[in-house]
Amino acid sequence: MMSLAGRVLHRILEVVTIGLLVLLALLVVAAVTFRYGLNSSLPWYDEVASVLLAWITYYGAALAALRRGHLGFSGLVLSLPLLPRKLLFILAELIVYAVFISMAWAGWVVLGVMAGETLVSLDWIPLQFTQSVVPIGCMLFVLAQLLSTPEAWARNLAGYDAEAEEIEAEIAKAESAIAEREAGR
Amino acid sequence: MTAPFILMGLLALILINVPIAVAICAVALIGMVAASGELGLYNAALTLFDGATSFPLIAIPLFILAGALMNTGGISRRLIAFVSALIGFARGGLSMVNVGVSLFFAEISGSAVADVAAIGSVLIPAMKERRYKPAFAAAVTSSSASLAIIIPPSIPMILYGAMADTSIVQLFVAGVIPGLLGGFAMLCLCYWFARRYNLPREEAFSLPRLGKAAREAFWALLLPVIILGGIFGGIVTATEGAGLAVVAALIIGGLIYRELKLKELYGALIEGVTQTSVVMLLVATSAVLGLHLTEIELPQNLARAITEATDNKYVVLILLNILLLVMGMFLHGAAAIILVVPIVLPLIHAVGIDPVHFGIILTLNLAIGQQTPPVASVLVTACSIAKTDIWTTTRTNLPFIAVLAVMVLLVTYVPAIPMTLVEIFYR
Repeated sequence: MMSLAGRVLHRILEVVTIGLLVLLALLVVAAVTFRYGLNSSLPWYDEVASVLLAWITYYGAALAALRRGHLGFSGLVLSLPLLPRKLLFILAELIVYAVFISMAWAGWVVLGVMAGETLVSLDWIPLQFTQSVVPIGCMLFVLAQLLSTPEAWARNLAGYDAEAEEIEAEIAKAESAIAEREAGR
Repeated sequence: MTAPFILMGLLALILINVPIAVAICAVALIGMVAASGELGLYNAALTLFDGATSFPLIAIPLFILAGALMNTGGISRRLIAFVSALIGFARGGLSMVNVGVSLFFAEISGSAVADVAAIGSVLIPAMKERRYKPAFAAAVTSSSASLAIIIPPSIPMILYGAMADTSIVQLFVAGVIPGLLGGFAMLCLCYWFARRYNLPREEAFSLPRLGKAAREAFWALLLPVIILGGIFGGIVTATEGAGLAVVAALIIGGLIYRELKLKELYGALIEGVTQTSVVMLLVATSAVLGLHLTEIELPQNLARAITEATDNKYVVLILLNILLLVMGMFLHGAAAIILVVPIVLPLIHAVGIDPVHFGIILTLNLAIGQQTPPVASVLVTACSIAKTDIWTTTRTNLPFIAVLAVMVLLVTYVPAIPMTLVEIFYR
């Protein structure tokens, strides 16, 4: 079971990423409607949609980190004896922290350089705002990784991974849907 | 930093279970800092943002959203009913229904696992009830779902198209004939199994029943027609087609069938958006590695080294097929595409392989990879639903894998199979 802090972060990231996704879908549909229905195009559509995708990427990546959903190859580590398995787990965690902390820092420095610059198509949106997703997203990733460590450690000791859990969850969901439908008949 | 060091470092990090996206970023950072110090870190941070802003990839979250709406809005269920009324009368009918349904909508939602769970949880129990062997039920479900990744709309193709800067529409069109051929071969294989093991027929064919199922599924069947028609006809781009798919699925599931449940939809959306970000983070970090690899000219040097040894297109294709098969066995499809494409692209251009043609070869190889342990999430899901083990299923699955393998060979060495439609309509 995830800690309270983990669950709160999960809910916040859920709402943010799904909100961004819905916004993106609305924007794409609006752009098509404008082009064919109203015969005028939205000149800022490409640029804003691309920025939305980047935001979904990093807020969603933190969400995926909290669920330990990022793609990896656990086959070798899980087949090792307990001691090396523990050590490699710690090493892998440290590498994740090193990468995202350095990227958060570099992303922060880069923001300083962008002062005064704006999007090409909408000159009232500063680049500092759109690019803020890199430092913020990287720090959220670190936080998510920290909060999900106890569970991941327990799974590592028990010798299975998050993917096995995901498959279990998908099947349970599908089976309960069938049971519900049959009960409704 | 030298190329072998980067590749070995990447391999080592992946083997100790560092998430692949992070492993890619880690080796790129080391390389860039070694080459240009602190500046390398700033470049990397900039590229992390730019890499995630690829416009064509917007189609991925939108198709995933549409798939979530289809699965929770009663659209999938009506497709299954329609396909059963259409081909369920044949011997071994349920297995054929399974193939047919998979070809219709698997891989739309981006999570092959979620799709196999959706289709398999309806059809596998039904097959077991009708005395199909669990291993056979799992094998059919799993391999037909994998074949479906070459039938548009396909998330791996969108990813490849964006990475290789190739027309996604042409990739979609090129997948049609190989997909239908492979589907037909799988149907024949099901029939062969049905004769051999005396598998049952479903209800006799009845035109009124087919008519009723077709009426109920009318809107569900219209969905791919609208989307693919719009994209193939050049009316909308792949991204906008994905946007239309969302609207259409919302209207059909929410207003016409009225089965859309908000709670289920919310759950499916979280799954979908997580899947999207997992792929997108890989795309973004691979942009950083790509920047560094280009600086040290690794892909160009690789292309030069291989073309000096042989410039025979067919020999290169054999090598690529072997590489892709191995990658597909050990990595998930998206990760394999992101790692392989930037490195082999200059080689493909150098020996004159059409990038659209290569896209289909790549996607089919990855389809086989989803069926071969150790990493085979689609197969594992189907096996868990059928409550059977992977190895028994794999034995039954071998003929189906053979169909996929023959398709790879055909598509590789008879370029006309994927490329004819593309040549006629787009060149």
